[in-house]
Amino acid sequence: MASEELFYATIRDIGARFRRRALSPVELTRAHLERIEHLDPKLHAFVTVTADRALADAKAAEAALGRGDISSPLLGIPVGYKDIYATRGILTTGGSALLADWIPDEDSTCVTRLQRAGGVMLGKLITHEFAFGIQFPGHRFPAARNPWDLERMPGGSSSGSGAALAAGMAFGALGSDTGGSIRGPASLCGIAGLKPTYGRCSRAGVLTLSWTLDHTGPMARTVEDCAYLLQALAGYDAADPASSREPVPDYVAPLGRGVRGLRVGVPREYFFEGIDPEVEKGFEQALATLRQLGAAVEDVQIPSIQSAGAFMAIMLAEAFAYHERDLREHPERFGELLRERLLAGALITGSEYVQAQRIRTRLQADMSAVLRRVDVLATPTSPKPAPTFTAVYDPDYGFPRGNTGPFNMTGLPALAVPCGFTTSGLPISIQITGRPFDETTVLRVGHTYEQATDWHKRHPI
Amino acid sequence: MTLEELRDRMKAARVEIAENRLEVVRRLLTDALRPILAMDSRAHRTLEPAVTFDTVRSRGDHGQ
Repeated sequence: MASEELFYATIRDIGARFRRRALSPVELTRAHLERIEHLDPKLHAFVTVTADRALADAKAAEAALGRGDISSPLLGIPVGYKDIYATRGILTTGGSALLADWIPDEDSTCVTRLQRAGGVMLGKLITHEFAFGIQFPGHRFPAARNPWDLERMPGGSSSGSGAALAAGMAFGALGSDTGGSIRGPASLCGIAGLKPTYGRCSRAGVLTLSWTLDHTGPMARTVEDCAYLLQALAGYDAADPASSREPVPDYVAPLGRGVRGLRVGVPREYFFEGIDPEVEKGFEQALATLRQLGAAVEDVQIPSIQSAGAFMAIMLAEAFAYHERDLREHPERFGELLRERLLAGALITGSEYVQAQRIRTRLQADMSAVLRRVDVLATPTSPKPAPTFTAVYDPDYGFPRGNTGPFNMTGLPALAVPCGFTTSGLPISIQITGRPFDETTVLRVGHTYEQATDWHKRHPI
Repeated sequence: MTLEELRDRMKAARVEIAENRLEVVRRLLTDALRPILAMDSRAHRTLEPAVTFDTVRSRGDHGQ
């Protein structure tokens, strides 16, 4: 088994080792496959490990490096894909019994783009059932566990992506985010995760949860690694009706520009309700660090923020619309919790759905107004640290209120970055949100903060 | 939302939910609908949930 340090290196560092022949993609891939074999029986991050494919990808990368090809920083980098991303010829389950045997004919656009950039496909990562349910004991696909505490959830729905990255079983992963499914697991697993602007990364070939709220995006252990992944993913895709033609800037080069002079707005209302005191303390310390780094931090008001809960009405209604036929014809193939959540969407009237979309328009206008005065918003990512499975499996456990959904409503880019630990050793996270298509500033703030701290250097295994 | 209202909605939508799960669903829907029911749409200027097709917009002005 290779040294632990190798598994927690950055993409930039691995690339440098490749170029000076200190490491080869095949060696790195074999080491990861061994690590997955060793750790995953307890973590359940992977649904499918594609060992043969990974070695083939690694050999191709090795050959390219041998030819002097250093055009992509992702060349030879082991990655995993959330199991709602279609992968040609490879099982894609959506974490659901309904698709337990589905083998797609085509790759999703994001998978195509990461593979073209030289990514090494390690396998498919478990997702909450259709990115919305939870796998209870006895489910066909066991739930991923949080590497920081195996009795706790890694968050969801990109649960396998979060667990695999935190445990050093991949350098990057694809997640999807309808109400926080990239940022939530990033927060609870102590890694970085970016929900890009709506339309920035393609959703083509990705199982739908809620058309107007679904986003795809990268997860990694550092902000810079997220930037490398985003660079490969971003850009127009005619196969996604929501895809934007906004030009793709360089996401990596500006990372080192610091935050001096940037204005950081902190909306105190809504985002601190029910917050864990240790999460709040970690967040306030992160703000103090940003001030020390030269950012101007000020409180801001988002007048309609209390109406952000209408997000759930939109998601429920759209999710029911997507799944209705299967729900009515094969209800037994849905997990009980997912089934009742989807059926709740059938109980929302047309008028209520429309009013929720009107609320959304107002929230977008209010956030746009605030983001004319400040460059980014900062909030805690999750109000509480990772819950135990015991708590989540309680029949009365409701849908947890989160701080991420408002930015799915508005489509703004939002990044989760580790900002501390509770006294019991659970990760805490800060969420940085920016203007539409200004991922560059969001990543720059996150990277500057990250480099001034050592939270991202702590690992559970 | 009362359980009786929830049952009325289930009947109208032709869906069945286990009796012992109705309270959980009632809470989920109550939270989702609270801002909608609190909204007096007549008190606000028209907010259309429509896509727009502006080709030139300043950076801070467009939502999605």
